[in-house]
Amino acid sequence: MTSTPRRTPPSAPAARLIAPLLAAVFAIGVTFFITYRIFGGETLDAVMQAINDRQTEANDFAAILFINALVGISVALFIVQLRRIALRVTITVVVALIFGFIMTTVFNLDSANRYIRGEFRVSVVTEAEVIEDEAADMEYGQARGDDFNRQGVLNPISEAAYTFAGRQGDLINVLAYAANRRSEVDLQVELIAPDGTSIGASNFATDEQVEQFDDLQSVNDAIIQGITLPADGLYTIHVRPQDLQTGTILSEALTNTRGAYEAFLLGAISRVNRWAVWIQDALTLILVGLAISIVFRARQFSLGAEGQLYFGALVSGVIALSGGALPGWIIIPVALVAAMTAGFLWGLLPGILKAYLNANELVSTLMLNTIAVRFYELVLTFQLQPPEAGYTASSDYPLSGQLPVLVANTQVTIAVFIVIIAVIAVWLLITRTPLGYEIRTAGSNLKFANYGGINTKRTIMLSLAVSGIVAGLAGAHLGMGIHRMLILNISLGLAFEGVVVALLARNNPLVIPFTGLLYAYLRSGAQFMERDANISFEIVRIIQAVIILLITAEALLAFVQSRRKLTTPAEPSTPTTTMESPRLIIESSAGEKKNV
Amino acid sequence: MTLLQAKDIVKVYPNGVIANNGVNLTVIKGEIHAIVGENGAGKSTLMKILYGLEQPTSGSILLDDKPVTIHNPQAAIDLGIGMVHQNFMLVDSFTVAENIALGRESVRGVALDRKKAVADTEQLARDYGLSVDPTAKVGDVPVGMRQRVEILKALYRGAQILILDEPTAVLTPKETTDLFAAIRSLVNQGKTVIFITHKLREVMEISDRVTVMRDARHVGTVNTFQTSIAELARMMVGREVFMQVDRPPVTPGQPVLQVHNLTFTNEAGRPIVRNVSFTVREKEIVGIAGVEGNGQTELIEVLTGLRPPTSGSIQVEGKEVTGHGARGMREAQVAHIPEDRLTNGVARDVSIADNLIVDRYYREPFKRSGLLDLNQIRRNGEQLIEQFGILVENGDQPVASLSGGNMQKVIVAREFSSSPHLLIAAQPTRGVDIGAIEFIHQQLVNKRSDGLAILLVSADLQEVMKLSDRILVMYNGEIAAIFPNTPDLTEEKLGLYMLGAQRQSAEEMEGLR
Repeated sequence: MTSTPRRTPPSAPAARLIAPLLAAVFAIGVTFFITYRIFGGETLDAVMQAINDRQTEANDFAAILFINALVGISVALFIVQLRRIALRVTITVVVALIFGFIMTTVFNLDSANRYIRGEFRVSVVTEAEVIEDEAADMEYGQARGDDFNRQGVLNPISEAAYTFAGRQGDLINVLAYAANRRSEVDLQVELIAPDGTSIGASNFATDEQVEQFDDLQSVNDAIIQGITLPADGLYTIHVRPQDLQTGTILSEALTNTRGAYEAFLLGAISRVNRWAVWIQDALTLILVGLAISIVFRARQFSLGAEGQLYFGALVSGVIALSGGALPGWIIIPVALVAAMTAGFLWGLLPGILKAYLNANELVSTLMLNTIAVRFYELVLTFQLQPPEAGYTASSDYPLSGQLPVLVANTQVTIAVFIVIIAVIAVWLLITRTPLGYEIRTAGSNLKFANYGGINTKRTIMLSLAVSGIVAGLAGAHLGMGIHRMLILNISLGLAFEGVVVALLARNNPLVIPFTGLLYAYLRSGAQFMERDANISFEIVRIIQAVIILLITAEALLAFVQSRRKLTTPAEPSTPTTTMESPRLIIESSAGEKKNV
Repeated sequence: MTLLQAKDIVKVYPNGVIANNGVNLTVIKGEIHAIVGENGAGKSTLMKILYGLEQPTSGSILLDDKPVTIHNPQAAIDLGIGMVHQNFMLVDSFTVAENIALGRESVRGVALDRKKAVADTEQLARDYGLSVDPTAKVGDVPVGMRQRVEILKALYRGAQILILDEPTAVLTPKETTDLFAAIRSLVNQGKTVIFITHKLREVMEISDRVTVMRDARHVGTVNTFQTSIAELARMMVGREVFMQVDRPPVTPGQPVLQVHNLTFTNEAGRPIVRNVSFTVREKEIVGIAGVEGNGQTELIEVLTGLRPPTSGSIQVEGKEVTGHGARGMREAQVAHIPEDRLTNGVARDVSIADNLIVDRYYREPFKRSGLLDLNQIRRNGEQLIEQFGILVENGDQPVASLSGGNMQKVIVAREFSSSPHLLIAAQPTRGVDIGAIEFIHQQLVNKRSDGLAILLVSADLQEVMKLSDRILVMYNGEIAAIFPNTPDLTEEKLGLYMLGAQRQSAEEMEGLR
């Protein structure tokens, strides 16, 4: 009471406009950048060319542009909704990417090893007459060779020596070169006279020499050119790979990583079909993220989305498969509603267990997930799998059971609209409905909700069940939109990915489209990196793990901020906007610190 | 002779809270030094620093004019500094003697020498005039004795300076008197006592010197005999404070709350509230006095619908509401200012406007055709913020951004604006600063004069006596006595009933229910 009253300085209109403006700029920029990249990508001409060439139908182009505009809108929502926190989320992701870059580089440190490994040949090229000598390994004009540092052998060799008989006065060239195109070994060669002295050495070939001698393929090969032999006798050629320089190792690793990262960061928007992979994955993740955000809002640590998703996929799949001659406009809505109902019921179950038996929702949902997955497999294997099928999967859905596509030859379907509706519905649910109020209040302080007269048992139960509706939809999308059949492992831990999506979005339904797209972008980028640059998917797992770590480490960030404030105590802390302000306020009113 | 000195202590918590900002404290050997200040003024932090529980960010501590560093409580004990915490640190299932010997016994083998522990305890109790039962289990002895056990424990470890953190908060008047006698005898035997409190009457009664803290700062140190309650209050709050409440006499009207034979048995099968019957009428404040833990908390929880009663009935304005739940009670126009307000009375990361509608969000005008009317919610928030003087720019901010005092105002605004017929106020001024106490008291009395029926539960006997028209005393889950609040009623008299030393018969209480 005695502390200084807190007054937020009224923000100037200009300051208030910054976020929407920034959002609009980013939205338009993102829309056009993505569209530009997936068509041709390099120059504007290429883009126009691609469009004019009718490689893409006009209505496909319109659909792609439309979806990219939605991506832009997601970015705008992200900025407008989270404001400063958006910056924090961005930093989180960037830091994770940098960390991943470093990790990738470390894993790439062996990429320079190709210079010390591989098949090689040495030969003596001369116009002099061949000397035959039983004791020599080789003679003029012959090539000998081996394989340096071969992987998988017990004692790989890292140097070799070959003898040949020489005659005083002969003019010879000694060549050492990679044996084939696969070998990139960087060689050095030395010629030893019969008396043991070194009479020539080289670790490279000039471009002219490469041109001149057919055997030489690159400057990494080595040649001792134009040596006049000083005496008769057995000469020895010593050959070994060049020692690797730290600089070479690093620059090689960096070059590789850069290539990989280019595939990672731009691969998803390099072609229409890759873009489609990204978008379809994002649609699933957005739905799962929405589902998770509802239970997290109620502070229920439920991971039941996985099981609900399986049930949603199964129920919608059965309907899609058995629809027969019915038209799609009947089958699809029925299948979707059935999937939502299945999710609702499978979510209601742990809700009841939690509300009335106080069963920990984390444990119960994980257990129920297992039941759901096994039940799905049971039905799939014994009921749905056609007898002639070679692997465990249902037959393809009839066309009337598939979600109609928006972009030809992709799996981008009308699920786009389903997701838009779901986002708006969840947003309305959380912010505008009494149930949403109950969920928010119970999630913030259960005792308070009870005290205020809210039936918190019902709230908890419904939060889990409603979350199941959205998760069930995600399952329907997987079956009817993406795979168009039911397969084993239709979701590999999507619920857990949904946790990250929801956490990144701070459980804000309007931000989830962005975080879902972002996360799907990283996931699909990972696939393309694996494909294009031969970097394993595990790297992406590491990046994902780092993101999760950084999110959970936000308390640390706040800690660092408060420490920094202390070092400049003269500057009074000005409370800023809502979300971030509490900590600052606390500082300005130490008198109330007990209530912190 | 200066014994202990804290110089320019600054303590900044990692979350940025500045709890001590250049605090100085000088304790003279053999004195009783009171430290007063409002909640959050930094008293406890300073004591934690002296006892080694916290490290100061800067500043120094001098013992006998020699600088010392106190890394942990063990170091403090080694230096002869002992502390009795507000929440006792005792093992309930051990005997008094075992608790006192605990932590010292391990020096001699594994097993505790019980005989020696009992003998030591008896000796110690005699020496300092702190009577305890060495062989009783701590869980079975009254709060006052537990506190004496804590003090003995500190003395057993060789404490020369004893820090008592709000020792009277949990005591009855009689126990407080006993404690003060014990403190005086300790000082007579050469000990030094640092006494933390926010009750100024006790400061005047027991201390030699007083240090006042406000907003993490040291306001001043004065000799007790040279100061007054009014002056100390002014130093604590920073302005004049009026301690009296004007309570005009009014005639109570119709009964609003009627409780008949209410019983509540907890999960373990122990009866907590036993056969309680009483009535609260319009224009009447009924106070419930009692030592904490005698069933008041559970009684309130039953009356507000948070727990179902085991038996008995509750009627509000003649309507049966037994077991109607929290919403049922609220719909019967019962408002509730809860005991642990800052933890149960608000949802911190929810906006102020949303906090203000928790009891009515599901009704018109906040809900229209199935959806919440956000404009209405915002308007309601703005209106109440204005009306109750909540210091915040707008209602969209989360409650967590408010100071504790303003959070209390959010609760009061919500409960008063629900146009209640009955207000149940539990510990309405707990954790409230002196300046705000007078405001809350006046508000309660005004509402009662305007026709509201109020049931007041408070551990602060003075508060109950100041505000109530009738006083019920609860002991062991039962109503032990009912008094009209006449001027001849004294704290001591109530104390006898609060401790169970006396009890009115059913006939005596009959006419007063």
